[in-house]
Amino acid sequence: MEKKINMPKLAPEMESGVLCAWLKEEGDTVAAGEPLFEIETNKVVNQVEATVSGVLKKQLAEEGDTVCVDTAVAVVEAE
Amino acid sequence: MLTVRNVSHDPFYNQAFEEYVYQTYLDDDIFLLWQNAPAVVVGSYQNICREVHVEALRQRGIPVVRRISGGGTVYHDLGNVNYTYIVRAGTLDYDAVLSPVIAALNAIGVPARKNRTCDIAIGDLKISGSAQRMTKGRLLHHGTLLFSSDLGVLDQITTHRKNDCFQSRGTQSAICTVTNIREHLASPMTIEEFQDRLLEQMVPPGSPHLTLTAAQEAEVCRLRDEKYRSWEWTWGKTPAFTYEKSGSFHGAPIRVAYQAKRGIVSGAVIDCAAIDGALAAQLLNGARLDPEGFAAICRRLAGDEAEELMDWLM
Repeated sequence: MEKKINMPKLAPEMESGVLCAWLKEEGDTVAAGEPLFEIETNKVVNQVEATVSGVLKKQLAEEGDTVCVDTAVAVVEAE
Repeated sequence: MLTVRNVSHDPFYNQAFEEYVYQTYLDDDIFLLWQNAPAVVVGSYQNICREVHVEALRQRGIPVVRRISGGGTVYHDLGNVNYTYIVRAGTLDYDAVLSPVIAALNAIGVPARKNRTCDIAIGDLKISGSAQRMTKGRLLHHGTLLFSSDLGVLDQITTHRKNDCFQSRGTQSAICTVTNIREHLASPMTIEEFQDRLLEQMVPPGSPHLTLTAAQEAEVCRLRDEKYRSWEWTWGKTPAFTYEKSGSFHGAPIRVAYQAKRGIVSGAVIDCAAIDGALAAQLLNGARLDPEGFAAICRRLAGDEAEELMDWLM
């Protein structure tokens, strides 16, 4: 089953964040709780973790892209 | 609340120390005070070349250190006091961490107030900037406190030397008017007294005051050497960019252009009658974005004019 990982909304006023770095490549296996990517918003760097174990199927944004909150950034094919 | 003593002034060690404490003491709120010898500290996803004049820093021997939090470039010296405040947090909230720090400053006679999202000011002049990192529900918030810094150097390094030849999407710094805390005290105190009194406010007597064991210090040194002193961390993390600059080099027109991705140069062109363009492309393409490496390339290409050519390259 596919599971989307979204740009988190870290504060009430947060509208978007910059996807700074992918920590996993497409095809990599990930365990739930393992960091998938890093975002920056308002001088905060935040590590976003996989919510399920599986394989990173698709990176939906490139490093440097600004992504709106609650928008999908990664697709993980759950085990 | 606990604190861990750190008397080092080595900017690379101090970044490693902070990260080690962040990842080791997982069950407590933590407050640290520490100081760096002169250094430029950049945000996690900044383009160093765009933010500071790399060649001026190289000549002055001022190191550039990349930290793990977001935000912009700051200059540290021994007139600046850094604090780190680590708490458990579900959402990002600068006020929750800034309020106790401002209250502590007020209690020791510093007329500080919050300004903008995450600055502390006296009147309209900034005395403190801060940035954060959040990992697994723990927030690391750290900031500078200008006590008696050399504001002239800070101004030179971070304001007037901004380089606009870069097209990239990394985080850009804000430029603010600053002041030193020492100028605004009701009764004078030394920077040591300032730190002692601030620590006493934030970490009351009776709370744990820890010192790292020799084995823990060895771990910090390993992190310093493997991460913070590595090219991969400091330069390899530079967001992808394209660079282009043209003008006059020793009376001849010059145009320099290149790209860099993950800190590796490609598509390099130096178009100038005084420079061997084929050799320049050969030396630069595939080279690491690195001040020492670039300086060596400039010496081969321009001999005595190497320093001047360096200004054209980064």
